[in-house]
Amino acid sequence: MSRASAAEAPGPSARERELLRREVEISRKYLGRVPWEMVAWGLGNFALWLSIWPLTFAGMLPLWAGFLLSTLCITLSYLPSHEAQHSIIASRGTKLRWLNELVGHVSTIPLVLPYRLAWITHRQHHAHTNDPDLDPDYGNKGDTWRQSVWNGLKARQPGADSAYKVALQRSDDPDADRARAEAIALNVGYYAALTALAWSGYAIEAALLWWLPRQLGLTYIQLFLSWAPHHPMEEHGRYRDTRAWRSPVGTIASLGMEYHLIHHLHPRIPLVDTGRAYREMRDVLLERGIRNDGL
Amino acid sequence: MNLVAKAFEWGPLWFGVGFIAPLVAQSLDASGVSAPLGLSGIQFGLAIGVVMGTVAKLRGSWI
Repeated sequence: MSRASAAEAPGPSARERELLRREVEISRKYLGRVPWEMVAWGLGNFALWLSIWPLTFAGMLPLWAGFLLSTLCITLSYLPSHEAQHSIIASRGTKLRWLNELVGHVSTIPLVLPYRLAWITHRQHHAHTNDPDLDPDYGNKGDTWRQSVWNGLKARQPGADSAYKVALQRSDDPDADRARAEAIALNVGYYAALTALAWSGYAIEAALLWWLPRQLGLTYIQLFLSWAPHHPMEEHGRYRDTRAWRSPVGTIASLGMEYHLIHHLHPRIPLVDTGRAYREMRDVLLERGIRNDGL
Repeated sequence: MNLVAKAFEWGPLWFGVGFIAPLVAQSLDASGVSAPLGLSGIQFGLAIGVVMGTVAKLRGSWI
């Protein structure tokens, strides 16, 4: 843009400035606290998932119950790490930073999603939401949820160009090499564990406690954390790339993603506070022209 | 790192041998079904795992 045309471009109106001021004022109420519930969720969920293994192997937990519990644990494993990715638990340089990093790294081990890779690629999702070339989550786009599930499955196939791998190659993040090494180590560890369990006589247990629950968890996460809040993934801009929406399965079963719009507007607000923040901000956001599908 | 990348290229075959083969054998055993053609469970599992893994590697997809 030339200097002349930049000068001609209209700035925000007085009303827009007032709306932004109110939006930021409300958001500040929800910033700055340590979301201990997310710390407990992340570490407790990981401990619960670990405990499923000895309980099942010892015959204290039936395999079918272990399968259901493991699927639940793996599905719930992403969000605490997501809080850590945004430094919501503790910022860099603060006393509890180690806890932020611990939750980030540990909670997604069952999902086999390395924390640093997740954060580097997630930043690109925030910067380029719904961009077909630059948003690493764009592969979950689909006209219907069934199509999104199918597209997500296809994107996980061995010959598919992994969007996260491409995003990591594109990244100029100084930690990119470290993230790549951690991703390789975690994946090698995962497949080595499956192989060791399988050849030790526990193939069915490995399939039903980790492999299949992980596939189901990834599908659920992609559907509710990526497809649903950004559907139809065609719009861009601060108030249009993410929607407020009424989930047919409710707020809890949709992992709080009805309010994902708040996360994109104010990424440091803890997940459990996004609903309250939305209700308080709703009138302001409606005037800004957000996409509201029934909330 | 190159060695690891090369090994990952053949991931579907490793998965077929390392995981699918024993999974098939132990599933047969658990369901009381014997492997066809006079093969043992693990021989049959290895045949299935190698074929599935190779096809997935060549097609670039399991599905």
